[in-house]
Amino acid sequence: MTVQQQANDHMNTPLIQTEHLVKKYGDKTAVNDVSIEVHSGEVFGFLGPNGAGKTTMIKMIVGLLQATSGRVSVAGFDVAAQPLQAKAASGYVPDTPNLYAKLTGRELLRFVGDLYGIDGEQAKRRGEELLRILDLTTAADDTIDSYSHGMQQKTSLAAALMHDPKVLVLDEPTVGLDPKSARLIKDILRQMADRGAAVFLSTHILEIAERMCDRIGIINKGELIAVGSMEELHASNQVSGGSLEDIFLSLTGGAEEAEITEILK
Amino acid sequence: MNAVASKVNPPSAAILPAVWKLLRLRWQIMVNNFRRSKLIAKIFTILAMLGLMVIVGLVFWFSWQMVRFIGTPEFIQTVGDPIALLDSVPALFFSMFFLGIIFTSFGVLLQALYLAGDMDFLLAAPIPIRSIFITKLLQAVLPNFGLSALFGLPVLYGLGMARGYNFLYYPVVLLLMVVLSLAAAGLAGVLVMLVVRVVPARRVVEVLGFVGAISTFICSQSGNFMNSNQGDATTTGNEVVGMLSFLTQLNNPWLPLTWPGRGAVALGENAWLPGIGLTLLSFGLAAGVFWISLQTAERWYYSGWAGMQVVAQKKKPARSARQTTALPMLAGLGTLMQRSLSAPVRGLMWKDSLMMRRDLRQLSQLITPLIFGVIYGIMFLGGGGDAPTGQGEAPEWFMESFTTLLSYGNIGLSVFVGWMLLGRLASMGFSAEGKSYWILKAAPIDPRRLLTAKFLVAYLPSLFISLVFLTVFSILQKVSIGPAVYSMFVLTLSLAGMAGILLTFGVLGANFHWDDPRRISGGKMGCLGTLIAVLYLPLAFVLFIGPQVLTMVIDFPIGYAYLAGGVLGTGFSIVCMLVPLRLVTPLVEHLDEA
Repeated sequence: MTVQQQANDHMNTPLIQTEHLVKKYGDKTAVNDVSIEVHSGEVFGFLGPNGAGKTTMIKMIVGLLQATSGRVSVAGFDVAAQPLQAKAASGYVPDTPNLYAKLTGRELLRFVGDLYGIDGEQAKRRGEELLRILDLTTAADDTIDSYSHGMQQKTSLAAALMHDPKVLVLDEPTVGLDPKSARLIKDILRQMADRGAAVFLSTHILEIAERMCDRIGIINKGELIAVGSMEELHASNQVSGGSLEDIFLSLTGGAEEAEITEILK
Repeated sequence: MNAVASKVNPPSAAILPAVWKLLRLRWQIMVNNFRRSKLIAKIFTILAMLGLMVIVGLVFWFSWQMVRFIGTPEFIQTVGDPIALLDSVPALFFSMFFLGIIFTSFGVLLQALYLAGDMDFLLAAPIPIRSIFITKLLQAVLPNFGLSALFGLPVLYGLGMARGYNFLYYPVVLLLMVVLSLAAAGLAGVLVMLVVRVVPARRVVEVLGFVGAISTFICSQSGNFMNSNQGDATTTGNEVVGMLSFLTQLNNPWLPLTWPGRGAVALGENAWLPGIGLTLLSFGLAAGVFWISLQTAERWYYSGWAGMQVVAQKKKPARSARQTTALPMLAGLGTLMQRSLSAPVRGLMWKDSLMMRRDLRQLSQLITPLIFGVIYGIMFLGGGGDAPTGQGEAPEWFMESFTTLLSYGNIGLSVFVGWMLLGRLASMGFSAEGKSYWILKAAPIDPRRLLTAKFLVAYLPSLFISLVFLTVFSILQKVSIGPAVYSMFVLTLSLAGMAGILLTFGVLGANFHWDDPRRISGGKMGCLGTLIAVLYLPLAFVLFIGPQVLTMVIDFPIGYAYLAGGVLGTGFSIVCMLVPLRLVTPLVEHLDEA
């Protein structure tokens, strides 16, 4: 097998795979029969209105939530059957960075290093490198409760990157970040994908999805209603020349828009 | 402009209507909380209100009767003329009331101004800023004012009735309470801002919580200690006279805090000149303090002065420097742990120990068992810990068995200290992770390792502290080496079993959704865990110590008794430690998925 073939195989390996995934909370179905594949080297944007099931889906992928039915595999490991291997391969940045308030940024990274079984010296080096890249070095010895939201978000990303994961899952990663930090995070995600990782991110900022993501999935009321590259979405929705916003609104319903305009008249 | 905008009234600069609107909002929130509470909570609230009314009535009656009793010839003969004392009561009450309101409003205002999160919302609304501050002050003062009025007014009115004060006394007392409470709340607001200028608000809350919890515990336990030490000692007439004379001396005319009370009493006794003078002076001073405090607080808050810390936090030394100063013994322990425990387990233990040390609110819950241990240890040792000699009617074997059991009283007390610590560390080991639990859940940690880490975090410090207590008691009681070592063995294993049980129920009742560590509760599962631990302990003790007691009845060597007790007790403790944990291991994987 040639190096090129190996590279192609690598690019075609689905690092995240969900098959007929369903999550029910009592009678309410939060996620209904969602099947997605995210490949190595790909940035996948996951969009949907509020309460559509994005966070539930993400929590099932990273093993925080047990699926009612269906299957999730991460880096080839079944999240339900081989949770430790799947978790070891993935990094997760939640929408709200609830971190240990009384640890310092540096201590948190050391702790995460221990959790992922990274050798002490290597963890220290990696932690310092991430603190430097994310511009957190000066605050590294302050406890996290003194950090701003943006700093906590960046610390959360640093923690997710500590073990250099094959799969990175982010829930609204740029919310509350200044433009410089948002740009930094976007650059990091792109670099991660270029190095062969699969990046799965949910966002409400359609411009980010449009510019960053290789493929986009749109979920509405728990069901995956569209998936594909920008071109594929254009083609399947006959919104010629329209932006992702147009596609998104046409798929998820724009009735509310007219109502808002009426109220503001 | 749209149709709605044209119908909006122009903003008003009137303060009182805005204060009224904001108070109505508070009232609405309170009513909503009551409406949405469970039926049992509603019934409890209504019963509590009725109970409060009954207590207020009793206080009023008691005050009235008390003042009449103080005026009886018998009392005057024993203690002396009570007039000076009775006249001092309002002055002392108002002084305590003013200081009490400052103290209690401090915490409430700290929360309302800096942590409630509604200040920006309110400041952005088209209402006068002053109305927001007045509302915040009222919010801080009303509950404490209400309580003080409920218990204080019956006393003052009872006094007035018994002393036959004129009608002006009654409304003046109430009005004085109102203005004094406002002045005190204003001062508390300024104090809050001065403190927050130096220390972050959240840290102040933690320190207040810590100091409050520890002081309350020390006071309550010291009371028990004093009671047990005093025995049947009685207070003499001279002591009463001395105490009353001291209270009377506090009513010093040079102290401004006594002026409201002196003024009200003077008015009640128809001494118009000093009465009107002191009352007006008190009203004027209180209103002045309130006004100046309000304006200062407003200016400091709005200018941002009160939100900007001027004292920079001291940077901690770099980690490498700190590591080199570690004791060689601790370094040895570290190496041992490194060899025997996996990195995630070590990491979790290290993280939990840091978190416990740094969060003062959590720390207070760990310090209270130590205070408890010290106080009851002194009481236990003060009692001698010896078996009563009796009058010779009990059989000899019974007395010997009883003495043997008492000699293990040390273990009982040490286990109790350990139990209190485990109650916090093991029962709430998982819940303590709070909203950060996702970090552990998303990490590749085997549930068994997670349980091992949580077990060790709870067990090791509890064991260490209990062993220290046991060693100190054993030395002080001159326990011989054999029973002392056996006691340590019993303590080590019985605590292990208890840690297993409590941690198990901690998993079953884990609750990660809290904001204040003092609110972490074990819930029903925590109670059940405690109940089972209560059943476990005597059983374990019977197995460990029972064979020794049996040697008094059945003749067999004491060495065998130790061996039998050791084997039985160890087996039972280890089963109680491992089996419940084994049973809940599969549940750990799915915690926080509801």
